[in-house]
Amino acid sequence: MDRKILEQQFERILAVQGPALTRLAATYTNTLSDRDDLLQEIAFAIWQALPKFRGECSERTFAFRIAHNRGITYLSRIRAQATDPIEEIDVHDPTPGPESNLSQRQRADKLKEAVRRLPIAYRQVIMLTLEGLGYKEISEVLGISESNVGVRLTRARQLLQDGLEGRK
Amino acid sequence: MTTDIELQDWREQWQSETSIPADLRKSVERQSRLMRIGLLGDVAVTLVIGGGSIAWAMRRGNAEFAPVALAAWVFLAAAWMFVLIANRGLWSPPAMESSAFVDLSIRRCRSTLATLWFAVALFFAEIAFGLGWAYTHSVKGHIPLMRWLLFGSLRVDIVWIATAVFLGALIWYRRKKQMELARLLNLREQMTGAN
Repeated sequence: MDRKILEQQFERILAVQGPALTRLAATYTNTLSDRDDLLQEIAFAIWQALPKFRGECSERTFAFRIAHNRGITYLSRIRAQATDPIEEIDVHDPTPGPESNLSQRQRADKLKEAVRRLPIAYRQVIMLTLEGLGYKEISEVLGISESNVGVRLTRARQLLQDGLEGRK
Repeated sequence: MTTDIELQDWREQWQSETSIPADLRKSVERQSRLMRIGLLGDVAVTLVIGGGSIAWAMRRGNAEFAPVALAAWVFLAAAWMFVLIANRGLWSPPAMESSAFVDLSIRRCRSTLATLWFAVALFFAEIAFGLGWAYTHSVKGHIPLMRWLLFGSLRVDIVWIATAVFLGALIWYRRKKQMELARLLNLREQMTGAN
């Protein structure tokens, strides 16, 4: 394939999926610098894989598959699993109170942290759901059946609720 | 809060962060260049060692140096062959499904661990050949073999230091790969056990 076309396709994927890929990278890492390193690896892997991409799936599925695979490789290389709080982001609410008192940013950070603490199988499913993927697309990304996606999502939501309410 | 409203609320919170690092495109270009250099490096090492040994043997103009050049190519060919055989069936579409990718990563890790034994065997074969050839063609008859091997010269001492460094690095790398394999097996268990 012509390099110019590949570059355009790559730019488009980064522009459209970039924020989602950044959020995905954050679910696999403990610090912002690690997140950026992983994101670079993901972007590089997408660039390398593009010449072989024949449109068997959507660009989003293609990008998310590569991103999760790079995330798994990252987890296999690091010593500790991603269970420590992200160092650069303060996820603790200094004035605990009703949900309405929390700022949007704090709630988003708290959600992100709760997602990051989920076991990998549930983390992947809930993360893809939060990105707006349906059962079919999630099953295509992860290689599990749609019914499994449903089972995992139900459990993931329970765990996420527990995490957000501080029950676990 | 009903579940769908809750999910929608989570989605909005989740997607509220939309930043991406500014120099992502440049870093990909940088990595592409580094990878090309790395690939060229492997070929360059082969050509430098293989070509260098032939040039050295030809410059000496003596038939007894020919086996060194030949051995250099035999060792290089053995290394390349083994790498290709060890990686057979482990090349894959990079955008494969996550579950299949974990299985493939485990197979790759096991293959790498198996390759390490070959690396040790090849290294000692090279050392044995090199020292054997050097002893036969330079000092045989003047110094007993064991004395030459232990206190022969600075060159022989460097060979032993290099051997120690090589084995140390190999042990470190093996441990690293074993830990990686253990984590991958654990990840697979977590991913398949959640159904």
